[in-house]
Amino acid sequence: MKILIVGGGTGGSIVGNNVARRLADELAEGKVEITILSASDRHMYQPGLLYVAFGQMTPDQLYRDQRSLLEPGIYFEVDPVEEFRLDENKVKTRSGATHDYDILVIATGSRIVPEQVPGLKEGAELFYTEESAVKMFKRLSEFQGGKVGVVVGVPHKCPIAPVEVVFSLHDYFKSRGIRDKVDIKYHYPVGRVHTIENVAKWAKPEFDRMGVEYETLFNVKEVDAEKRVVRSEEGTEFEYDLLIAIPPHKGMEVIERQGLGEGGWIPTDRYKLTMEGYENVYVLGDTTNLPVSKTGSAAHFEAEVIAENIASVAKIGTPVRDYDGKVYCFIEAGHDRATYAMFNYQNPPNLKPASKSMHWFKMAYNQMYWSSVRGLL
Amino acid sequence: MNTQTGAVERDVGTDGNGNDEELSKLVEMGQLVMAAQDALADPIVSRLAGTLNEGMALVDRITRNKALMGLLQELERPESQALLKGLSAALRETGRALSASEKAKGGLGALVRVAREPGAEEGLRILALVGEHLSANVRGDRRQGK
Amino acid sequence: MAQEDFNMSEVKIVDARDTFCPGPLMELIAKVKQAEVGDVLEVLSTDDGSAADVPEWVNKVGHELLSNEKVDGVWRIKMRKAR
Repeated sequence: MKILIVGGGTGGSIVGNNVARRLADELAEGKVEITILSASDRHMYQPGLLYVAFGQMTPDQLYRDQRSLLEPGIYFEVDPVEEFRLDENKVKTRSGATHDYDILVIATGSRIVPEQVPGLKEGAELFYTEESAVKMFKRLSEFQGGKVGVVVGVPHKCPIAPVEVVFSLHDYFKSRGIRDKVDIKYHYPVGRVHTIENVAKWAKPEFDRMGVEYETLFNVKEVDAEKRVVRSEEGTEFEYDLLIAIPPHKGMEVIERQGLGEGGWIPTDRYKLTMEGYENVYVLGDTTNLPVSKTGSAAHFEAEVIAENIASVAKIGTPVRDYDGKVYCFIEAGHDRATYAMFNYQNPPNLKPASKSMHWFKMAYNQMYWSSVRGLL
Repeated sequence: MNTQTGAVERDVGTDGNGNDEELSKLVEMGQLVMAAQDALADPIVSRLAGTLNEGMALVDRITRNKALMGLLQELERPESQALLKGLSAALRETGRALSASEKAKGGLGALVRVAREPGAEEGLRILALVGEHLSANVRGDRRQGK
Repeated sequence: MAQEDFNMSEVKIVDARDTFCPGPLMELIAKVKQAEVGDVLEVLSTDDGSAADVPEWVNKVGHELLSNEKVDGVWRIKMRKAR
């Protein structure tokens, strides 16, 4: 049985490693083959980008060699897929090779498309790539005072990031002793400071306490990088000296190009995690069209379900488990406090008060993440 | 049970202040947590977690390596342990004997003399036996149930 | 067949039932971005807050609210992308 995984990020790696552990004997006997195709030989810990943007991590700490994270029995190649031939159970890669499969797992993730908002790339600090995160830190460290604006594009991965950025900005300027010289203004697309009701209920008084202004129902329309003005769809605008933006996202180009999903988001069954119309194709992580947060955490829990199902299909011919929508996200609330949100399809998140212990749990998880990727945690 | 209030009274000891022993234990735990919070800092937590992370990965690899685990099992046998100890002692004494003796000068005559020594015969016999058993094991001619 | 008739008959469903993050309104905003002017979208939500949140956003941004009703415990809110 040939299992092909497209994408070596959080989702793809965990599925691969998890299946390799479950089907260790079959793998050793050659009854099962697992292949992972990726666009990169490195694996990035994306949550680290926020730390890089605030000078708490250096870029080298974000990466590990992808091959070193995978079970020895997995065949890994840096050769991204350029064409999906789902009706033939085949894919074609950049090098021109074709890989056929019995089971396909699509875990290609998502990309930022700041160009969707005119002027955003030119005017804003984006921090969703290594380069932009380093640039943001440099700009922050040079900043002596003025108006800092935070805006949010839709959709975006890591829904909690806008709130975390505000806490980090407040603590950062405080630690430099210039918080009183900085005005922080936060803008959010819906009618409250965060899309999750309980997060908004918790964050709003915190914003008030920190002296952070906020404007809700603000959907970014365009940025005038020269005049340093941001305009919204709703007809309002504001001036900034430093603009921080979480850019809008799309699925990977190949997904869109091939018409596998509008915007690059593949239609996926929310319980079975199979692609609509294809029982032997699983989809997980950012690239699904599911109304589930685009986070590493969702990818992890989805991967557990998919791996278990692939193994059971290999052993008994049918899947055994459904995805229950589980997501667990840390919420950094500044330099030394954190809380978390856990929810699934049935239960909303109930936030506990932020604490130092949770912050250390997050610090520890920054290291333990690699064990998660290996299929250990 | 206190029939008036319905409260269940448990038989706990009291400290000198007349408080619940349990309560003071909880306070102690709380103080410990606070002390840990005061003592720890980000880099310390990161390092600890990092080491734990790598340690877990290492243990995971070792325990899933059938050859290594098989070797461990072999080495746990008393005979294996005795043999290893013997080997270690032999090497030590050999080292001592070598440093006390003259360096070999070479030549066929000397070679024949060494071949005549009982130690040489024992050594060859050991090598022959190791060769025989190693070959059998590698080729898979192992006997069942050792 | 007129272009408007075609758009009217194809309602894009945004099924955000039983989800909390990013939630029905954010899902709708993302889908509206992908849609063409004149497209009709219908968001399904089990969150009672949507009954107020969604129309608020639809009106503030300048789209057209077509209907807003609760059917079998699910809010069904239909809107047309106007700009």
